[in-house]
Amino acid sequence: MNKRRPGFVFLDGVFLATAILPIVFGIVLKVLTTPISEGITITGARIFFSVDMPVQPLVITESQINSWIVIVSLLGLCLYLTHGLSVRHPTRRQHLAEWLVEKSEKLTLSNMGDDFSGFPPLIASIIGLSALSSLLSLFGLYPPTSDINVTAGWAVAVFVLITYYKFKCGPVHYLKSFGDPVPLLAPLNIISEVATPISMAFRHYGNVLSGAVISVLVATGLDGLWGIIMGWLPSPISELSLIRIGIPAVLSVYFDLFSGCLQAYIFAMLAMLYISSGYPRDEYLKRKNKKRINKKTA
Amino acid sequence: MQTLEVISVNLWQILLSLANLVILFFILKKFLYKPVKKVLAERQAEIDSGYAAAAEAERSATADRDAWREKIKTAEAEAQSIIKTANDKANENSDRIIGDAKDKARDIIRRAEAEADLEYKKAQDDIKQEIVVVSTVLTEKMLEREIDEKDHRELIEAFISNMGDSND
Repeated sequence: MNKRRPGFVFLDGVFLATAILPIVFGIVLKVLTTPISEGITITGARIFFSVDMPVQPLVITESQINSWIVIVSLLGLCLYLTHGLSVRHPTRRQHLAEWLVEKSEKLTLSNMGDDFSGFPPLIASIIGLSALSSLLSLFGLYPPTSDINVTAGWAVAVFVLITYYKFKCGPVHYLKSFGDPVPLLAPLNIISEVATPISMAFRHYGNVLSGAVISVLVATGLDGLWGIIMGWLPSPISELSLIRIGIPAVLSVYFDLFSGCLQAYIFAMLAMLYISSGYPRDEYLKRKNKKRINKKTA
Repeated sequence: MQTLEVISVNLWQILLSLANLVILFFILKKFLYKPVKKVLAERQAEIDSGYAAAAEAERSATADRDAWREKIKTAEAEAQSIIKTANDKANENSDRIIGDAKDKARDIIRRAEAEADLEYKKAQDDIKQEIVVVSTVLTEKMLEREIDEKDHRELIEAFISNMGDSND
Protein backbone atom coordinates (compact mmCIF):
# COMPACT_ATOMS: atom_id res chain seq x y z
CA MET A 1 0.00 0.00 0.00
CA ASN A 2 3.01 2.25 -0.35
CA LYS A 3 1.47 3.43 -3.59
CA ARG A 4 -1.07 5.52 -1.74
CA ARG A 5 1.14 8.54 -2.10
CA PRO A 6 -0.49 11.87 -2.82
CA GLY A 7 0.99 11.99 -6.33
CA PHE A 8 -0.53 8.64 -7.17
CA VAL A 9 -3.94 9.61 -5.86
CA PHE A 10 -3.74 12.92 -7.72
CA LEU A 11 -2.98 11.16 -11.01
CA ASP A 12 -5.86 8.77 -10.33
CA GLY A 13 -8.11 11.76 -9.94
CA VAL A 14 -6.85 13.29 -13.17
CA PHE A 15 -7.49 10.08 -15.09
CA LEU A 16 -10.95 9.63 -13.61
CA ALA A 17 -11.72 13.24 -14.46
CA THR A 18 -10.53 12.55 -18.02
CA ALA A 19 -13.01 9.69 -18.13
CA ILE A 20 -15.99 11.50 -16.62
CA LEU A 21 -15.62 15.19 -17.48
CA PRO A 22 -16.12 14.77 -21.25
CA ILE A 23 -19.56 13.33 -20.63
CA VAL A 24 -20.38 16.19 -18.28
CA PHE A 25 -19.07 18.57 -20.92
CA GLY A 26 -21.30 16.93 -23.52
CA ILE A 27 -24.36 17.28 -21.31
CA VAL A 28 -23.55 20.93 -20.58
CA LEU A 29 -23.00 21.61 -24.26
CA LYS A 30 -26.29 19.96 -25.13
CA VAL A 31 -28.16 21.91 -22.49
CA LEU A 32 -26.58 25.20 -23.54
CA THR A 33 -27.10 24.75 -27.27
CA THR A 34 -30.53 23.18 -27.31
CA PRO A 35 -33.14 25.80 -28.05
CA ILE A 36 -36.22 25.78 -25.91
CA SER A 37 -38.06 23.18 -27.82
CA GLU A 38 -41.34 23.77 -29.42
CA GLY A 39 -42.15 20.09 -29.46
CA ILE A 40 -40.80 16.61 -30.05
CA THR A 41 -39.10 16.21 -33.41
CA ILE A 42 -37.00 13.64 -35.13
CA THR A 43 -33.91 15.23 -36.60
CA GLY A 44 -30.36 14.29 -37.44
CA ALA A 45 -27.33 15.50 -35.57
CA ARG A 46 -27.12 19.21 -34.90
CA ILE A 47 -24.39 21.05 -36.77
CA PHE A 48 -22.02 23.08 -34.62
CA PHE A 49 -20.08 24.57 -37.49
CA SER A 50 -19.11 23.69 -40.98
CA VAL A 51 -15.95 24.23 -42.98
CA ASP A 52 -15.94 24.60 -46.72
CA MET A 53 -14.14 21.72 -48.32
CA PRO A 54 -14.11 20.29 -51.82
CA VAL A 55 -17.04 18.07 -52.82
CA GLN A 56 -19.00 18.67 -49.61
CA PRO A 57 -18.64 21.00 -46.64
CA LEU A 58 -16.98 19.43 -43.63
CA VAL A 59 -19.56 19.66 -40.89
CA ILE A 60 -18.74 19.20 -37.24
CA THR A 61 -21.90 17.83 -35.70
CA GLU A 62 -23.00 16.30 -32.48
CA SER A 63 -21.93 12.92 -33.84
CA GLN A 64 -18.30 13.99 -34.09
CA ILE A 65 -18.28 15.82 -30.77
CA ASN A 66 -19.91 12.88 -29.02
CA SER A 67 -17.50 10.43 -30.66
CA TRP A 68 -14.61 12.47 -29.34
CA ILE A 69 -16.25 12.53 -25.93
CA VAL A 70 -16.33 8.73 -26.00
CA ILE A 71 -12.74 8.52 -27.18
CA VAL A 72 -11.43 10.85 -24.49
CA SER A 73 -13.50 9.02 -21.90
CA LEU A 74 -12.05 5.71 -22.98
CA LEU A 75 -8.56 7.19 -22.92
CA GLY A 76 -9.11 8.32 -19.33
CA LEU A 77 -10.52 4.94 -18.42
CA CYS A 78 -7.54 3.14 -19.94
CA LEU A 79 -5.11 5.40 -18.11
CA TYR A 80 -6.99 4.87 -14.87
CA LEU A 81 -7.17 1.09 -15.24
CA THR A 82 -3.52 0.70 -16.16
CA HIS A 83 -2.28 3.14 -13.52
CA GLY A 84 -0.05 1.40 -11.02
CA LEU A 85 0.04 -2.03 -12.61
CA SER A 86 1.97 -4.56 -10.59
CA VAL A 87 3.15 -8.03 -11.36
CA ARG A 88 2.72 -9.47 -7.89
CA HIS A 89 -0.17 -7.62 -6.30
CA PRO A 90 -2.83 -6.73 -8.85
CA THR A 91 -5.47 -4.33 -7.67
CA ARG A 92 -9.14 -4.55 -8.51
CA ARG A 93 -8.81 -2.17 -11.45
CA GLN A 94 -5.88 -4.17 -12.76
CA HIS A 95 -7.98 -7.30 -12.63
CA LEU A 96 -10.58 -5.47 -14.70
CA ALA A 97 -7.97 -4.31 -17.22
CA GLU A 98 -6.50 -7.80 -17.50
CA TRP A 99 -9.95 -9.28 -17.85
CA LEU A 100 -10.79 -6.87 -20.67
CA VAL A 101 -7.56 -7.58 -22.51
CA GLU A 102 -7.73 -11.33 -22.11
CA LYS A 103 -11.42 -11.56 -22.97
CA SER A 104 -11.05 -9.47 -26.10
CA GLU A 105 -8.02 -11.48 -27.17
CA LYS A 106 -9.84 -14.73 -26.60
CA LEU A 107 -12.91 -13.52 -28.49
CA THR A 108 -10.88 -12.22 -31.41
CA LEU A 109 -8.49 -15.12 -31.75
CA SER A 110 -11.20 -17.74 -31.38
CA ASN A 111 -13.21 -16.09 -34.15
CA MET A 112 -10.40 -15.10 -36.47
CA GLY A 113 -7.57 -17.54 -35.81
CA ASP A 114 -4.03 -16.92 -34.69
CA ASP A 115 -3.03 -15.11 -37.88
CA PHE A 116 -4.86 -12.04 -36.61
CA SER A 117 -3.02 -11.50 -33.34
CA GLY A 118 -2.93 -7.74 -33.95
CA PHE A 119 -6.69 -7.43 -34.05
CA PRO A 120 -7.84 -7.50 -30.41
CA PRO A 121 -7.31 -3.74 -29.91
CA LEU A 122 -9.25 -2.99 -33.10
CA ILE A 123 -12.15 -5.25 -32.15
CA ALA A 124 -12.12 -3.82 -28.64
CA SER A 125 -12.17 -0.29 -30.02
CA ILE A 126 -15.08 -1.13 -32.34
CA ILE A 127 -17.05 -2.63 -29.46
CA GLY A 128 -16.09 0.12 -27.04
CA LEU A 129 -16.73 3.01 -29.39
CA SER A 130 -19.97 1.58 -30.68
CA ALA A 131 -21.39 0.50 -27.33
CA LEU A 132 -20.43 3.67 -25.49
CA SER A 133 -21.68 5.83 -28.38
CA SER A 134 -25.05 4.13 -28.20
CA LEU A 135 -25.08 4.33 -24.42
CA LEU A 136 -24.53 8.09 -24.56
CA SER A 137 -28.25 8.32 -25.15
CA LEU A 138 -28.68 7.30 -21.52
CA PHE A 139 -27.21 10.69 -20.61
CA GLY A 140 -29.60 12.41 -22.97
CA LEU A 141 -26.84 12.98 -25.50
CA TYR A 142 -27.15 12.35 -29.19
CA PRO A 143 -25.84 8.81 -29.86
CA PRO A 144 -23.31 9.07 -32.74
CA THR A 145 -24.28 5.59 -33.86
CA SER A 146 -27.65 6.88 -35.00
CA ASP A 147 -25.76 8.88 -37.63
CA ILE A 148 -25.21 6.92 -40.84
CA ASN A 149 -21.91 8.70 -41.45
CA VAL A 150 -20.37 7.37 -38.25
CA THR A 151 -21.25 3.73 -38.79
CA ALA A 152 -20.37 4.10 -42.47
CA GLY A 153 -16.92 5.27 -41.46
CA TRP A 154 -16.39 2.13 -39.37
CA ALA A 155 -17.79 -0.05 -42.15
CA VAL A 156 -15.33 1.53 -44.57
CA ALA A 157 -12.51 0.71 -42.16
CA VAL A 158 -13.70 -2.90 -42.04
CA PHE A 159 -14.06 -2.96 -45.83
CA VAL A 160 -10.49 -1.71 -46.25
CA LEU A 161 -9.26 -4.47 -43.95
CA ILE A 162 -11.30 -7.12 -45.77
CA THR A 163 -9.85 -6.01 -49.08
CA TYR A 164 -6.33 -5.76 -47.67
CA TYR A 165 -6.47 -9.34 -46.47
CA LYS A 166 -8.00 -10.51 -49.74
CA PHE A 167 -5.12 -8.84 -51.53
CA LYS A 168 -2.55 -10.81 -49.55
CA CYS A 169 -2.12 -13.22 -52.45
CA GLY A 170 -1.79 -10.52 -55.07
CA PRO A 171 -4.30 -8.77 -57.31
CA VAL A 172 -4.72 -11.73 -59.66
CA HIS A 173 -5.84 -14.01 -56.91
CA TYR A 174 -8.10 -11.24 -55.62
CA LEU A 175 -9.83 -10.84 -58.97
CA LYS A 176 -10.11 -14.59 -59.39
CA SER A 177 -11.89 -14.88 -56.06
CA PHE A 178 -14.89 -13.07 -57.54
CA GLY A 179 -15.51 -15.84 -60.04
CA ASP A 180 -15.40 -18.29 -57.24
CA PRO A 181 -17.74 -21.18 -57.70
CA VAL A 182 -18.47 -20.30 -61.35
CA PRO A 183 -17.39 -17.18 -63.25
CA LEU A 184 -21.03 -16.60 -64.06
CA LEU A 185 -21.62 -15.49 -60.47
CA ALA A 186 -19.00 -12.71 -60.67
CA PRO A 187 -21.54 -9.85 -60.80
CA LEU A 188 -23.32 -11.22 -57.74
CA ASN A 189 -20.05 -11.60 -55.91
CA ILE A 190 -19.11 -8.02 -56.69
CA ILE A 191 -22.49 -6.82 -55.46
CA SER A 192 -22.19 -8.80 -52.25
CA GLU A 193 -18.67 -7.46 -51.76
CA VAL A 194 -19.95 -3.88 -52.00
CA ALA A 195 -23.04 -4.73 -50.00
CA THR A 196 -21.03 -5.93 -47.04
CA PRO A 197 -19.96 -2.54 -45.68
CA ILE A 198 -23.24 -0.91 -46.66
CA SER A 199 -25.30 -3.52 -44.86
CA MET A 200 -23.05 -3.31 -41.81
CA ALA A 201 -23.36 0.46 -41.68
CA PHE A 202 -27.10 0.48 -42.22
CA ARG A 203 -27.78 -2.35 -39.79
CA HIS A 204 -26.08 -0.60 -36.92
CA TYR A 205 -27.31 2.87 -37.72
CA GLY A 206 -30.83 1.69 -38.42
CA ASN A 207 -31.14 -0.21 -35.17
CA VAL A 208 -30.03 2.69 -33.03
CA LEU A 209 -31.99 5.31 -34.96
CA SER A 210 -35.13 3.20 -35.02
CA GLY A 211 -34.86 2.86 -31.26
CA ALA A 212 -34.69 6.62 -30.94
CA VAL A 213 -37.58 7.08 -33.41
CA ILE A 214 -39.76 4.59 -31.58
CA SER A 215 -38.94 6.26 -28.27
CA VAL A 216 -39.98 9.62 -29.71
CA LEU A 217 -43.13 8.16 -31.24
CA VAL A 218 -44.09 6.50 -27.96
CA ALA A 219 -43.43 9.70 -26.05
CA THR A 220 -45.54 11.71 -28.49
CA GLY A 221 -48.26 9.09 -28.46
CA LEU A 222 -48.39 9.05 -24.68
CA ASP A 223 -48.55 12.83 -24.71
CA GLY A 224 -51.53 12.72 -27.04
CA LEU A 225 -53.17 10.00 -24.97
CA TRP A 226 -52.85 12.14 -21.85
CA GLY A 227 -54.39 15.04 -23.76
CA ILE A 228 -57.36 12.92 -24.81
CA ILE A 229 -57.98 11.46 -21.35
CA MET A 230 -57.16 14.44 -19.12
CA GLY A 231 -57.80 17.26 -21.60
CA TRP A 232 -60.96 18.32 -19.85
CA LEU A 233 -59.10 19.06 -16.62
CA PRO A 234 -57.83 22.57 -15.85
CA SER A 235 -54.66 23.70 -17.49
CA PRO A 236 -51.68 22.63 -15.24
CA ILE A 237 -52.83 19.02 -14.94
CA SER A 238 -53.81 18.65 -18.56
CA GLU A 239 -50.32 19.75 -19.65
CA LEU A 240 -48.29 17.72 -17.12
CA SER A 241 -48.43 14.53 -19.16
CA LEU A 242 -47.67 12.30 -16.14
CA ILE A 243 -48.14 9.21 -18.31
CA ARG A 244 -44.73 9.94 -19.84
CA ILE A 245 -43.07 8.93 -16.57
CA GLY A 246 -41.89 5.34 -16.47
CA ILE A 247 -43.19 3.79 -19.67
CA PRO A 248 -40.48 5.24 -21.98
CA ALA A 249 -37.87 4.06 -19.48
CA VAL A 250 -38.88 0.44 -20.11
CA LEU A 251 -38.40 1.00 -23.83
CA SER A 252 -35.10 2.70 -23.10
CA VAL A 253 -33.82 -0.45 -21.38
CA TYR A 254 -34.31 -2.32 -24.61
CA PHE A 255 -33.42 0.29 -27.21
CA ASP A 256 -30.58 2.04 -25.44
CA LEU A 257 -29.03 -0.58 -23.18
CA PHE A 258 -29.74 -3.89 -24.84
CA SER A 259 -29.81 -2.87 -28.47
CA GLY A 260 -26.83 -0.57 -28.11
CA CYS A 261 -24.62 -3.29 -26.66
CA LEU A 262 -26.00 -5.96 -28.98
CA GLN A 263 -25.38 -3.90 -32.11
CA ALA A 264 -21.82 -3.20 -31.00
CA TYR A 265 -21.27 -6.92 -30.52
CA ILE A 266 -22.90 -7.77 -33.87
CA PHE A 267 -20.83 -5.17 -35.70
CA ALA A 268 -17.62 -6.48 -34.19
CA MET A 269 -18.59 -10.11 -34.86
CA LEU A 270 -19.40 -9.38 -38.49
CA ALA A 271 -16.16 -7.45 -38.91
CA MET A 272 -14.20 -10.39 -37.54
CA LEU A 273 -16.02 -12.93 -39.67
CA TYR A 274 -15.78 -10.94 -42.90
CA ILE A 275 -12.11 -10.13 -42.44
CA SER A 276 -11.05 -13.63 -41.47
CA SER A 277 -13.18 -15.38 -44.07
CA GLY A 278 -11.86 -13.14 -46.84
CA TYR A 279 -8.29 -14.06 -45.98
CA PRO A 280 -7.06 -16.89 -48.26
CA ARG A 281 -4.92 -18.41 -45.52
CA ASP A 282 -3.97 -21.73 -47.11
CA GLU A 283 -3.14 -20.13 -50.43
CA TYR A 284 -1.07 -17.44 -48.73
CA LEU A 285 0.89 -19.94 -46.67
CA LYS A 286 1.47 -22.06 -49.76
CA ARG A 287 2.90 -19.11 -51.63
CA LYS A 288 5.03 -18.10 -48.71
CA ASN A 289 6.46 -21.60 -48.46
CA LYS A 290 7.17 -21.66 -52.16
CA LYS A 291 8.93 -18.32 -51.92
CA ARG A 292 11.05 -19.57 -49.06
CA ILE A 293 11.99 -22.71 -50.96
CA ASN A 294 12.85 -20.63 -54.01
CA LYS A 295 15.03 -18.41 -51.89
CA LYS A 296 16.81 -21.41 -50.48
CA THR A 297 17.50 -22.94 -53.85
CA ALA A 298 18.61 -19.63 -55.33
CA MET B 1 -29.48 25.78 -34.71
CA GLN B 2 -29.15 23.87 -37.92
CA THR B 3 -29.46 20.10 -37.96
CA LEU B 4 -28.61 17.44 -40.44
CA GLU B 5 -31.29 15.51 -42.21
CA VAL B 6 -32.06 12.18 -40.53
CA ILE B 7 -30.42 10.41 -43.44
CA SER B 8 -27.66 12.48 -44.92
CA VAL B 9 -24.40 11.17 -46.25
CA ASN B 10 -21.39 13.37 -45.79
CA LEU B 11 -18.06 12.18 -47.11
CA TRP B 12 -15.97 14.17 -44.64
CA GLN B 13 -17.97 12.89 -41.72
CA ILE B 14 -17.39 9.34 -42.88
CA LEU B 15 -13.65 10.02 -43.03
CA LEU B 16 -13.73 11.67 -39.62
CA SER B 17 -15.50 8.68 -38.16
CA LEU B 18 -12.98 6.34 -39.73
CA ALA B 19 -10.19 8.45 -38.28
CA ASN B 20 -11.88 8.35 -34.88
CA LEU B 21 -11.91 4.56 -34.97
CA VAL B 22 -8.24 4.44 -35.95
CA ILE B 23 -7.35 6.93 -33.21
CA LEU B 24 -9.21 4.86 -30.63
CA PHE B 25 -7.46 1.76 -31.93
CA PHE B 26 -4.07 3.34 -31.28
CA ILE B 27 -5.19 4.69 -27.91
CA LEU B 28 -6.33 1.26 -26.76
CA LYS B 29 -3.25 -0.38 -28.15
CA LYS B 30 -0.87 2.02 -26.47
CA PHE B 31 -2.61 2.69 -23.18
CA LEU B 32 -4.45 -0.53 -22.45
CA TYR B 33 -3.01 -3.49 -24.33
CA LYS B 34 0.65 -2.60 -24.22
CA PRO B 35 0.98 -2.08 -20.44
CA VAL B 36 -1.39 -4.90 -19.53
CA LYS B 37 0.28 -7.36 -21.86
CA LYS B 38 3.67 -6.31 -20.55
CA VAL B 39 2.55 -7.03 -16.99
CA LEU B 40 0.99 -10.32 -18.04
CA ALA B 41 4.19 -11.34 -19.82
CA GLU B 42 6.26 -10.37 -16.79
CA ARG B 43 3.99 -12.36 -14.55
CA GLN B 44 4.18 -15.33 -16.90
CA ALA B 45 7.96 -15.07 -16.92
CA GLU B 46 8.01 -14.93 -13.14
CA ILE B 47 5.75 -17.95 -12.89
CA ASP B 48 7.85 -19.83 -15.42
CA SER B 49 11.07 -19.02 -13.62
CA GLY B 50 9.46 -20.03 -10.33
CA TYR B 51 8.42 -23.35 -11.77
CA ALA B 52 11.85 -23.83 -13.28
CA ALA B 53 13.50 -23.07 -9.94
CA ALA B 54 11.15 -25.47 -8.16
CA ALA B 55 11.86 -28.20 -10.70
CA GLU B 56 15.58 -27.55 -10.40
CA ALA B 57 15.39 -27.72 -6.59
CA GLU B 58 13.40 -30.92 -6.75
CA ARG B 59 15.84 -32.40 -9.21
CA SER B 60 18.88 -31.60 -7.06
CA ALA B 61 17.10 -32.85 -3.94
CA THR B 62 16.29 -36.12 -5.66
CA ALA B 63 19.87 -36.42 -6.86
CA ASP B 64 21.13 -35.77 -3.33
CA ARG B 65 18.73 -38.32 -1.91
CA ASP B 66 19.82 -40.93 -4.43
CA ALA B 67 23.48 -40.21 -3.80
CA TRP B 68 23.03 -40.55 -0.07
CA ARG B 69 21.01 -43.69 -0.49
CA GLU B 70 23.81 -45.11 -2.60
CA LYS B 71 26.38 -44.07 -0.02
CA ILE B 72 24.40 -45.67 2.79
CA LYS B 73 24.10 -48.86 0.77
CA THR B 74 27.86 -49.04 0.17
CA ALA B 75 28.52 -48.20 3.79
CA GLU B 76 26.30 -51.04 4.87
CA ALA B 77 28.09 -53.42 2.53
CA GLU B 78 31.43 -52.18 3.84
CA ALA B 79 30.35 -52.70 7.43
CA GLN B 80 29.13 -56.14 6.52
CA SER B 81 32.44 -57.03 4.93
CA ILE B 82 34.41 -55.59 7.84
CA ILE B 83 32.37 -57.65 10.28
CA LYS B 84 32.83 -60.70 8.12
CA THR B 85 36.60 -60.37 7.87
CA ALA B 86 36.82 -59.72 11.59
CA ASN B 87 34.76 -62.82 12.27
CA ASP B 88 36.89 -64.87 9.93
CA LYS B 89 40.07 -63.65 11.53
CA ALA B 90 38.70 -64.35 14.99
CA ASN B 91 37.62 -67.83 13.99
CA GLU B 92 41.00 -68.47 12.47
CA ASN B 93 42.72 -67.19 15.58
CA SER B 94 40.60 -69.27 17.88
CA ASP B 95 41.14 -72.38 15.76
CA ARG B 96 44.84 -71.79 15.79
CA ILE B 97 44.91 -71.15 19.52
CA ILE B 98 42.82 -74.23 20.29
CA GLY B 99 44.94 -76.35 18.00
CA ASP B 100 48.10 -75.07 19.68
CA ALA B 101 46.63 -75.75 23.07
CA LYS B 102 45.65 -79.28 22.07
CA ASP B 103 49.12 -79.93 20.70
CA LYS B 104 50.71 -78.62 23.83
CA ALA B 105 48.41 -80.70 26.00
CA ARG B 106 49.20 -83.82 24.00
CA ASP B 107 52.87 -83.01 24.33
CA ILE B 108 52.60 -82.61 28.07
CA ILE B 109 50.66 -85.84 28.39
CA ARG B 110 53.18 -87.69 26.29
CA ARG B 111 56.08 -86.33 28.31
CA ALA B 112 54.33 -87.16 31.54
CA GLU B 113 53.72 -90.69 30.37
CA ALA B 114 57.32 -91.06 29.32
CA GLU B 115 58.46 -89.77 32.64
CA ALA B 116 56.11 -92.07 34.46
CA ASP B 117 57.46 -95.00 32.45
CA LEU B 118 60.95 -93.98 33.26
CA GLU B 119 60.13 -93.65 36.96
CA TYR B 120 58.43 -96.98 36.86
CA LYS B 121 61.40 -98.67 35.29
CA LYS B 122 63.72 -96.97 37.70
CA ALA B 123 61.58 -98.02 40.60
CA GLN B 124 61.56 -101.58 39.32
CA ASP B 125 65.26 -101.58 39.02
CA ASP B 126 65.65 -100.14 42.49
CA ILE B 127 63.31 -102.65 43.95
CA LYS B 128 65.10 -105.43 42.18
CA GLN B 129 68.36 -104.15 43.51
CA GLU B 130 66.96 -103.90 46.98
CA ILE B 131 65.44 -107.29 46.85
CA VAL B 132 68.70 -108.70 45.68
CA VAL B 133 70.49 -107.01 48.52
CA VAL B 134 67.88 -108.04 51.06
CA SER B 135 67.67 -111.56 49.87
CA THR B 136 71.41 -111.83 49.83
CA VAL B 137 71.55 -110.54 53.36
CA LEU B 138 68.73 -112.80 54.36
CA THR B 139 70.21 -115.79 52.71
CA GLU B 140 73.58 -115.06 54.29
CA LYS B 141 71.97 -114.86 57.61
CA MET B 142 69.87 -117.92 57.08
CA LEU B 143 72.61 -120.02 55.76
CA GLU B 144 75.24 -118.41 57.89
CA ARG B 145 77.83 -119.52 55.71
CA GLU B 146 80.04 -118.15 53.21
CA ILE B 147 78.64 -118.52 49.85
CA ASP B 148 79.79 -117.46 46.61
CA GLU B 149 78.15 -114.16 46.47
CA LYS B 150 78.52 -113.94 42.80
CA ASP B 151 76.73 -117.24 42.07
CA HIS B 152 73.92 -116.50 44.30
CA ARG B 153 73.44 -113.10 42.98
CA GLU B 154 73.02 -114.42 39.53
CA LEU B 155 70.63 -117.04 40.76
CA ILE B 156 68.49 -114.61 42.69
CA GLU B 157 68.47 -112.07 39.97
CA ALA B 158 67.22 -114.64 37.56
CA PHE B 159 64.58 -115.62 40.01
CA ILE B 160 63.45 -112.07 40.67
CA SER B 161 63.41 -111.22 37.03
CA ASN B 162 61.22 -114.20 36.43
CA MET B 163 59.05 -113.17 39.28
CA GLY B 164 58.87 -109.64 38.00
CA ASP B 165 57.97 -110.91 34.58
CA SER B 166 55.22 -113.12 35.85
CA ASN B 167 54.04 -110.16 37.94
CA ASP B 168 53.77 -107.89 34.98
